[in-house]
Amino acid sequence: MAKVFQFQFSVVEKGAKIAPNVKIGPFCYIGPDVEIAAGCVLDSNVTIVGRTTVGKNNRFFPMSVIGAAFDGEEDKGRCIIGEGNSIREHVVIYSGTTRKPTRIGQDNLIMIACQVGSGATIGDHDIIANCTHISDDAVIEDYVRTSAFSFVDKKMRVGAYAFTAGYVQVTRDVPPYSMVQGSPFRVRGVNTHNLKACGFGEQDIRALKKVFRELFNGKGFADAEVLAALSKNRKTPQVVKVLLKALKNQGTKKG
Amino acid sequence: MVDVQTIREIHSSARIAPDAKIGPYSVIGPEVIIGPGTVLGRRVTVMGNTTIGSGNVIGDGCVIGCTPQDMKYRGASTMLVIGHKNHIGPMVTIHIGTELGGYVTRIGDENILMGGCHIAHDCFVDNRTHIGRCVQLAGHILVQDGAVLEDMSGAHHFVTIGRYARVGQRTPVRRDVPPFTNFFSEDYGWTSPSVRGVHTAGIKAANLTREEQAELKRALSELFEDETALQTKIETLENMGVEGEAKALCEFCQLSLQGKFGRNRESYRGQVPPEAAAVLPAEKLAEIQRSMQ
Repeated sequence: MAKVFQFQFSVVEKGAKIAPNVKIGPFCYIGPDVEIAAGCVLDSNVTIVGRTTVGKNNRFFPMSVIGAAFDGEEDKGRCIIGEGNSIREHVVIYSGTTRKPTRIGQDNLIMIACQVGSGATIGDHDIIANCTHISDDAVIEDYVRTSAFSFVDKKMRVGAYAFTAGYVQVTRDVPPYSMVQGSPFRVRGVNTHNLKACGFGEQDIRALKKVFRELFNGKGFADAEVLAALSKNRKTPQVVKVLLKALKNQGTKKG
Repeated sequence: MVDVQTIREIHSSARIAPDAKIGPYSVIGPEVIIGPGTVLGRRVTVMGNTTIGSGNVIGDGCVIGCTPQDMKYRGASTMLVIGHKNHIGPMVTIHIGTELGGYVTRIGDENILMGGCHIAHDCFVDNRTHIGRCVQLAGHILVQDGAVLEDMSGAHHFVTIGRYARVGQRTPVRRDVPPFTNFFSEDYGWTSPSVRGVHTAGIKAANLTREEQAELKRALSELFEDETALQTKIETLENMGVEGEAKALCEFCQLSLQGKFGRNRESYRGQVPPEAAAVLPAEKLAEIQRSMQ
């Protein structure tokens, strides 16, 4: 039996666990397996279904859909959303698979009409721009900024502090700290603007710039020999070690 | 049977013309004004300090007047003004202005905004433009009369799309687009877009006289035969003495060249742009300019 909330025609199904000060606007629908923590705001026409757990202080803008399932089986997997996120209009966040939940961390801004696929992971402090499509099982690490119409293919990883330009097709992992552009993408350089804003020092940024030139030289992938040579050097700064490790672990989608 | 009139949330302070129609599941906020003959579809959300003129058709699922996605927005009751006889497709989002961007977003008259497009804060869309499906306009953009943006194109902050220009599908626009030109890239994967030819349909739509058309076409072929030495070509044309649309074209290109990154409107950062000053009431404008000092 559906329970009608403060606005007529907003529906909170029996079994949903909603904290007392959650604001639910008109025409929202909340399914029976949903948990919403304190401080959340649902503007209007927001749909939250499936086995979805929403943390504190999130704001859901009108017409967003959380926990959807492409095949109608929303309860197959879970969707876990952290604290302090802004989920903007027309965003669709799919529920997870049986193996892996869809996970969104803290303090993210997921802009208009983004699609976050089944089993995808979004870290903390990301800004995901309009119409970014994050396919199933993709991973967006922390402090990433995407531009409009970025497409992240299945199972790809966008490294921390990276920036993707508009219309980028991410068909291989995006190295951390990088700026990538094009389809297929090339590494345009170090994302200095974001690194400075996040408190990285001049020395680290200079070290990264030097290593980027040697490794990528304007291409979209790292030169294997240079990568091997750099990895042997114990004295590289910590940021460079993080970069090299990410490059060694990366996946590449062929074709 | 439930009365459709009850399946809407219309705030009692909203001012809605008696012959305006609003579909079910719509949500209309307290500061909204909707003019006569305007029709809203189903699940339309209109919020914020939004004024919608007469004779508009607004499709299902639109969210109009929401807060900007700009981190600099501080929660003021900034404005959105939509003119008359626009045709706004389903799932369109239009945001109000920001305090530092001029306080107002404005859509003019007789525009076509197709499904899924997004008009961000502080944009000015003039009249009779055609904005295609899923087009994403960032903030502070000026789209002049008659411009066409085809499906899935996107424009960077502070870009100006000139009169009757045409931006091709999936084109990332990062600099000003001159009037009456076609702007796209030959391959959409890597090559930067550029001016590729003349928007002949735009020239027809602009209703110019024969002489004006001829002069404009001459100017366009002079300037955009190739993209080199634009400054020199502009000066040559102006020295030869051009008038009307051709002169406006030269002035547009000159301003873009002088603008940062090829965007003339970059000079309006942190200021009230002239288009906003024209729309804002005088006391409000004075107040904003005082607060910006």
